[in-house]
Amino acid sequence: MIRAQDIHKAFGPKRVLTGVSFEVARGESLVVIGGSGTGKSVLLKCLLGLESPDRGEVMIAGLTRPRPHELAAHVGMLFQGAALFDSLPVWQNVAFRLMRGPARMARAPAREAALEKLARVGMAPESADLYPAELSGGMQKRVGLARAIAGEPPILFFDEPTAGLDPILAAVINALIREIVTEMGATAVTITHDMRTLRDVADRVAMLHEGRLYWQGTAAEALASDDPVLTQFIQGRIDGPIPTLR
Amino acid sequence: MNPILAALGAIGRSVATGLGAVGRFVTFAALALSHLVRPPFYGRELALQLVQIGWLSLPVVGLTALFTGGALALQIYAGSARFNAEFAVPSITAIGMVRELGPVLGGLMVAARVASSIAAEIGTMKVSEQIDALRTLATDPMKYLVAPRIVAATLAMPVLVAVGDAIGILGGYSVGVNRLGFDGPTYLRNTMDFLEFWDVASGLVKGAVFGFLVALCGCYFGMHSGRGAQGVGEATKTAVVLASILILSANYILTEAFFSA
Ligand SMILES: Nc1ncnc2c1ncn2[C@@H]1O[C@H](COP(=O)(O)OP(=O)(O)OP(=O)(O)O)[C@@H](O)[C@H]1O
Ligand SMILES: [Mg+2]
Repeated sequence: MIRAQDIHKAFGPKRVLTGVSFEVARGESLVVIGGSGTGKSVLLKCLLGLESPDRGEVMIAGLTRPRPHELAAHVGMLFQGAALFDSLPVWQNVAFRLMRGPARMARAPAREAALEKLARVGMAPESADLYPAELSGGMQKRVGLARAIAGEPPILFFDEPTAGLDPILAAVINALIREIVTEMGATAVTITHDMRTLRDVADRVAMLHEGRLYWQGTAAEALASDDPVLTQFIQGRIDGPIPTLR
Repeated sequence: MNPILAALGAIGRSVATGLGAVGRFVTFAALALSHLVRPPFYGRELALQLVQIGWLSLPVVGLTALFTGGALALQIYAGSARFNAEFAVPSITAIGMVRELGPVLGGLMVAARVASSIAAEIGTMKVSEQIDALRTLATDPMKYLVAPRIVAATLAMPVLVAVGDAIGILGGYSVGVNRLGFDGPTYLRNTMDFLEFWDVASGLVKGAVFGFLVALCGCYFGMHSGRGAQGVGEATKTAVVLASILILSANYILTEAFFSA
């Protein structure tokens, strides 16, 4: 479903990705972990075609080197900063895709659909008519999530879906992602620093470290691993092979 | 290294950079134009922008024209009195207003108001990844953001200029009647009899060109904004400065084209 092969990406002299390769099968949930600034968000943008890799090839949903608009029907994306449209109220953000394009919905049913998605991310209907600037960070994140799943795309990318959420809502979101993968058969790539997300959402875990996928395996293997880099990261220890100054 | 060679090298590099920048700007303009004629069209966005760019600019353009028309009448009176040609005040005020000052000052005011807000809005959308989000939602920012703004500004500016012309002439009229002792009906008759169709029409054409340039600058620098608040600030400033300079130079070129010979 998703295949990345030898992705390289540098910004000027800064080499962020230096040969990332992986595959995600249909209906599988991959969780990507890795230190802050290691290039996880950049990797997702390379997959989506928002950044063009300097080298390497991306294949998603049968498309090679896809451009973002070609993927729109296949992929939903939650951005790290939510990236909600300031000029539109919450429900129109969620229904954005539904109200445009050849198969566009009328306003009333699109609003209904948006309210339903908002309910699934724990947002009460009263917030539907607010503007993004009036929401808290965690609320923006959840609206972004609702927007990503609104079109029920078969592939989903989540960039830190539980960052900024309280533990209860984080559990709601983890359960939602798991449900989308298990019940609707979606394929998901989730970036997270939240070990509960890793436990609850991952079929497979990949760790990005020094520009490459340093480690891949199942969630259980990741939690039980005695690899020094992986354990330092998962347990959040200060001393170990990963430097704290980066 | 030889200092002369070094200097030549530096000049060459800046010329190359400058030409590259001009090339990108022109390419962007051509791309934007090509998107104006290809569907999908976003009618709602266009309507919103017509309100933003056209309707909400009326007070600024109107006030500018009012005071300019008044000052123009005073100056022309001062000048023409030296030749005992005071009778020319109404017609020359009107011509100055509709041919030059209406479109140019209106354009500059709209550049300050609209190029800045377009650049800041699109630039903020860029740095907060909203442009990326648009693209992943199958919406081309050139069509959804750029095209409606360019069309709205190009359509709204001539209307703003026409309103500004009328208010500017009114400003000249009220100064003429109240301060310079003209007879009201005579002032108006003089204005109307002298103004030709092309005087007004040329100003409206200028307005359309200026509106296009304003929106183009706003969109271009917004879409190419650097990162962070500083990047957006820089983009906004550059958009206003370049829009103003393009308006003044385009005005000269259009005036040459319309009225020389
Ligand atoms: N557009 C860009 N221009 C220059 N450098 C960039 C750009 N985007 C990302 N980078 C750099 O690439 C590196 C990786 O960034 P990225 O956002 O992918 O990190 P991340 O792994 O998602 O970190 P976090 O967990 O903190 O979100 C960073 O060092 C960042 O400075
Ligand atoms: Mg990130």
